[in-house]
Formats: sequence, structure tokens, C-alpha cells
Amino acid sequence: MIRVINALLAIIGGVGAALLLYYVLNKLVEMLPQKWEERIKPWVFAGVALAAIGLFLIYPAVRTIILSFANATSTAWVGLENYTDLLTSRDFQITLGNTLLWIAVVPAVTVALGLAVATLADRLGPRGEKLTKSAIFLPLAISGVGAATIWRFIYEARPAGEPQIGLLNAVWTALGFDPVAWLTVDTLRFNSFLLMVVVIWGQVGFSMVLLSAAVKGVPVDTLEAARIDGANERQIFFKVTVPQIWGTVITVFITVLITVLKAFDIVFVMTNGNFNTDIIAVRFFNELFRNGDNGRAAAIVVMLMLAVIPVVAYQVRHFRAEEAAR
Amino acid sequence: MRWRRLIQGIAVAAVAMLFASACLSESGGGGGGGGDSEGGGGDKQIEIMYGFGGDQSKGFEQAMAAFEKSSGITIKFTDASQSFDTLIRPRVQGNNPPDIALFPQPGLMLDFAKQGKLQDLGGMVNLEQLKTTLVPGELDTGTLDGKTYGVPMSMNVKSLVWYPKKAFEAKGYKVPTTIAELEALTNQIKADGTTPWCVGIESAGATGWVGTDWIEEFVLRYGGPQKYDQWVKHEIPFTDPVVVQAGQEFDKLALADGQVFGGRKSVVSTNFGTSINPMFDDPPKCFLHRQGNFITQKGFMADKARANLDENVGVFQLPGVSATDKPVLGGGDLAGAFTNDDDVKKALEFMFTPDFKFPNMAASSYMSPHKTFDVSQYPDETTKKIAQGAYASTVFRFDGSDLMPGSVGAGSFWKGMTAWISGQRSLDETLKEIDESWPS
Repeated sequence: MIRVINALLAIIGGVGAALLLYYVLNKLVEMLPQKWEERIKPWVFAGVALAAIGLFLIYPAVRTIILSFANATSTAWVGLENYTDLLTSRDFQITLGNTLLWIAVVPAVTVALGLAVATLADRLGPRGEKLTKSAIFLPLAISGVGAATIWRFIYEARPAGEPQIGLLNAVWTALGFDPVAWLTVDTLRFNSFLLMVVVIWGQVGFSMVLLSAAVKGVPVDTLEAARIDGANERQIFFKVTVPQIWGTVITVFITVLITVLKAFDIVFVMTNGNFNTDIIAVRFFNELFRNGDNGRAAAIVVMLMLAVIPVVAYQVRHFRAEEAAR
Repeated sequence: MRWRRLIQGIAVAAVAMLFASACLSESGGGGGGGGDSEGGGGDKQIEIMYGFGGDQSKGFEQAMAAFEKSSGITIKFTDASQSFDTLIRPRVQGNNPPDIALFPQPGLMLDFAKQGKLQDLGGMVNLEQLKTTLVPGELDTGTLDGKTYGVPMSMNVKSLVWYPKKAFEAKGYKVPTTIAELEALTNQIKADGTTPWCVGIESAGATGWVGTDWIEEFVLRYGGPQKYDQWVKHEIPFTDPVVVQAGQEFDKLALADGQVFGGRKSVVSTNFGTSINPMFDDPPKCFLHRQGNFITQKGFMADKARANLDENVGVFQLPGVSATDKPVLGGGDLAGAFTNDDDVKKALEFMFTPDFKFPNMAASSYMSPHKTFDVSQYPDETTKKIAQGAYASTVFRFDGSDLMPGSVGAGSFWKGMTAWISGQRSLDETLKEIDESWPS
């Protein structure tokens, strides 16, 4: 009870203090000559937010880059050793390869499936559409760890002769095959694909909702015009609908791509990176929290940051182009 | 006029700030405990962090409740059993450690000791006296450069092979006294049409540790205690012939085709806790399972077997090279202190008394690390037998992977075993990679 009151007081006090801070700063600036007041005022209001970003985002990022050149306990410089050690270790090469595979597969499949569902559901009756969309949207509401736990049970394997509690193996053994420990099969990265299924399962709902809205926004007269001109359904879809919703496709693609780069929970819960399924975020977690190696963990984050920068840059440019076109 | 309003504003802002910071410091102070105070009186509040889980956590809390009552010290129990090593690390790095931590893995504890984060227990408790009652070797585990940073407050015994007593005896199998006899028994069971071993190493984020135990058992047996100690300290490389031999023996005995229930592939996806249970099927799907004494806990061993442990379940110590060679591999939770004040001292002294125990002996499968402990307090003959075996052992060695640096003992060694057993790496590759991962 005291804690709740304390928290409430802190919130009221904190918000009040923030309000007062702005109020006081504003008053101070107003005391300056007119010319300076106009110059400084925007910075006073944006400045606090900028300072917060600097403190909580830029400063840690810079620290991380610096620490990536230091040893495990951040007590001595080691130059590029963290990077060379990581990049030459077979384990980390597999990790990087898996991450690339995730990037190549998950966003594309998520967008394609989402678009397919959005288009097809559009043709169902209102009731059918609602039902389908709700069902496909549902997994989005499940947390990553929850989803991973559910799918662990689906992939669960017991030795032959024991009752199979995993859905996949129950079906598989009913068909007369021997049970397979699915998550350990790394031929052609099969187990990584099984993990990707979980992420796709969770993300398709998100992709579907945005794309469905976009598909519905396509003006009907453009579709009718194409039909009158004798275009078939496939041509209409690819040549009329898709170009008009391309902006949304890119947005969804990039959002899912960033989700994939940060993906952690699914792999951590389901395999912890064993059986050649490791991805970069899990590796980072293990380096920092299990191995206590600040240097390597920082080096991994720097590499991840470098990988995300082009994507974000593209997104910003794309966003600007769209704004300009409007 | 303008100035007055401004000053008013600042005054109100200052009061508000004070108000907010006062709130924060109040809630922060409760959790922080004694801080860095050296040998102070304490504030009748300590925080203990531990990684038991389940009934063991309950047992520990019950045991300490008696202490709270008699001493008037309030204990904040922080159960980190989900993932002790990843939970305590950020606490220590963030300069917000608990007052006492019960480390299931001394390797992590020694990491902290090296960083100077832990208190030297020499000045806090009577080590000389503890030396006379503890199982030999237990105290060395928490010692670094002559200073003791951790003292065991519980014990577990790992070198145990379990078997389904009735079926085992009905088949006329005999308990082996040497590794050669164990191999012969394994072959005999195989010839009778059953896979001899049940092995499971899946343990969520800690998958692989059971595999490391097997390697340790055989390094201790083939290399002897001295070689074992050298290996644990990395004075001999991970690729040393004795480690290779240990891996090959494990492979031959319990991983090769027909040796293990479900086959080698299913070992990595079978949970360690329940992997013993196919031996209680009728007919048994396997006859042998190597695991520590904690396997008899509820939730691990099947209830039908636990119902009458002494009658249903047999156990023998994993034999050595010769019949007289009986080394024991074990573990335990080591108590280390981050704070040095009277409250912490009292709590440690309480936990280190030779008759300290968890009140729920049966449910928690608690075992005392003191050889003077009255064994009649153990709930069944099986536990009594295991404890007596450990108390009488001349060579007792702590679980080696728990002593290695965290990045090996809880990192590359676990992962390496998993990759090797699942067939993703050869034994030589695995040992080489583990050797390379050793922090310089």
C-alpha cells in the first residue's frame, strides 16, 4: 500500500516538476530581449527532450562502441580483438549466417502471407472476413515467450515407445514414422526454419491488418477501369493493386525486418541457440549475462547497429519521399 | 512583480523536486541493505539471493524463519532459481548486490571474488572449526589465493547410478564395482534386449550440464584428483588425452547405438529431470541412469517410484577403475557475502552450523555438507546411504564445470556437450573449441 502511494506521489511530483521546469524555463526566456527570445525558445522546449535522448540513447551507444574495444571486464584496451575473435570463430559465423537467413526469409514471407490473406479475405463475406482476420490476428496478442512455449510443445519429441505429447510428432508417428527431435535437425538449417515459423505465425496478423487497410483503400474505379480494359485478375492484382499499396508493403517489410534483427525470445526459449540455431541477439545475451564478457557483447551490438543503420536510413528516405509526394 | 513570480516559481519547483527525490530515495533505501559498510552493526535487515527453486526454496525459507525469530533480523528472500547466474551478474555489476548469495556455481562466485566484490569470510566465521566438520575438499572449493569467499551450506552427490530395484534384481543383474564391470553389465542388459541407459541433458537455458558431469566423472576416474584439479584450473588443456578418453568412454558407454533409450539424438531433447522415468515402466525401457541425489525430488522422479523409494529404486556409486577406487563428484550451494556486518555474520554462522537443515527434508532432498551430521535425520535409507558414502569418501571433488570460469563452465562447455552429443560436432572439434574459449 505504501508502495502504491509512494509511486503515485512520485508520478504526481514528477509530472508537476516537469511542468514547473518548462514553466520556469519559459519565464526565464521571456525575460530575454525579443530577438533572443525567439531564437532560444524552440531550443528550450526541444532541448529537454534532446537531452533525454542524448542521455538515454546516444551516450550509451557511444559507450558501447568504446567498450567494444575493451576486454571482458572493461579494464584494458584490446584493440580489434573482440571483432576478430568473433568473426573468426565458427560459432559466430554460424550465428551471423542464421541471422542473414532470418532477414532473407521472415520479412518477405510475412509480407507475402499478409498480403495474400488481406486480398483473399477481402473477397469473403463480411462475417467470413471478420472471422478469418480475427483468427489470424490473434497470435499477435501472444507474447514472444508465450508463443515460444506453445511451439515448444508442438515440436516436443519423446523417445520412440513413449507417448508423444508434441503435436507434430503425434501426427508424424501416427503416420508410421519414428519420432523426430525436430529442433535438433540442422540439415539445411531446417530447425532455424521451424523457429522462423513461430515468428511468422506471430507477425502475419500485423502485416495483414496494415495491408488489408491499404487494399481496401485502393480506389474501386481503377480496378474497374482495368477490368473494362480486359485485364485478368492476376494482372489487376500485380499491376494495379500492388503498385498502389507499395508504400505500405515497404513499411510492413521494414518493421518486420527490424523485429527480426532484434528477435531474441523465440530462439532463447526454444533452443537457447543450440543445434546451430543461434542468432545475434541471443548470442549477445549469452556473452553479456552468462559469460560476463562486456567487450564481446558490445562488439556484437555494434555489428548489429551497423546492420540496422542502412535499413533505418532507407526507411527515413522512403518516408520523406512519400511525404513529398503527398 | 515579474521577479517575485519567478522566485515563487523556482521555490515551488524546488519543493516539488525535493518531494520527488525524497520518494525515490525512500524506496531505494529499503532494497539497498547495508551497502558497503565494513563490520558495522547492521540494520536488522539482510537480503539473501539463492537459486534452489521449488521445495528447496520453501525448505530454505522455513529454515531461515527460525533464525529470523531468534535474531530479530528480517530476511528479504530473493529466489533467483529461474536463472541464478544471469540474475546475479547485473545486480553485482550495478553495485546493488544482495548481502548474501548462495552460489550453486562456485565458478561465478570465484569470478566475483577475483573482481574484489566478495568479502573474505576468514574474518567473519570460524573457518578452522568448519574445517573439522565439513566433508574434506568442500572448503577448498570456495578458496582463492588462500582466502575463503564461500562456504557450502548444502551438498549434493553426483556420482550415483540409479536402477529400478525390483526389475534389476529379477533379471539377476549385479551392482558393478569397477568401470569394466559396468561395461560388462551394460553389454549384458543390451544382450537381453533393453537399451541399458536413460540419459537426458535438456535443461532449457542450461542444456548440456548433464553432459559435462559425465566428462568430469571419467576425468576424475581416469586422471585421478590431481589431473582433475589441473584440468579444472586449465593447467592442462581441454584437449588433454585424459579428457578425450573421458569423452570416448561416455560415448561408448551411454551414447552409442543401442546404448541409450531413444537413441543419441533424443538425449539432447529429453529433459534431465524426467529422463530417468522410462526405467519405471513395465517392462523397464532402461536399467541405468546416472544423476545426482536431487533426482528423487518431486517433479523429477515419477511419483510411483518416489512412493516407496527404498523398495523401488536402487542406487550405487559410479565405480572407479579399480574396486578400491571410489571417488565422489558432488556439488553444493556456497554462501558468499557481499556485505560485512553483524547481521550477515549471524546469518552465515546460522547456515554453517553442522546441524543446519531444511525442515522439509523429504521434499527438498536436502543433504548436509557436514560429515558430523546425524544421518538418522535423512528421510529414507537411500538418502542415508548416499550421504554416508559421501561423508566417508576420501576423494571428494566439486563439480568441475561449476568451478571453471562462467564463460566455460556455464557457457562453451555446456554448449559444446550439446553440439557434440547431438552430432553437430566431433569430440575433437568440441574439446578444441572449449579450450579456445577459455578466458586468457
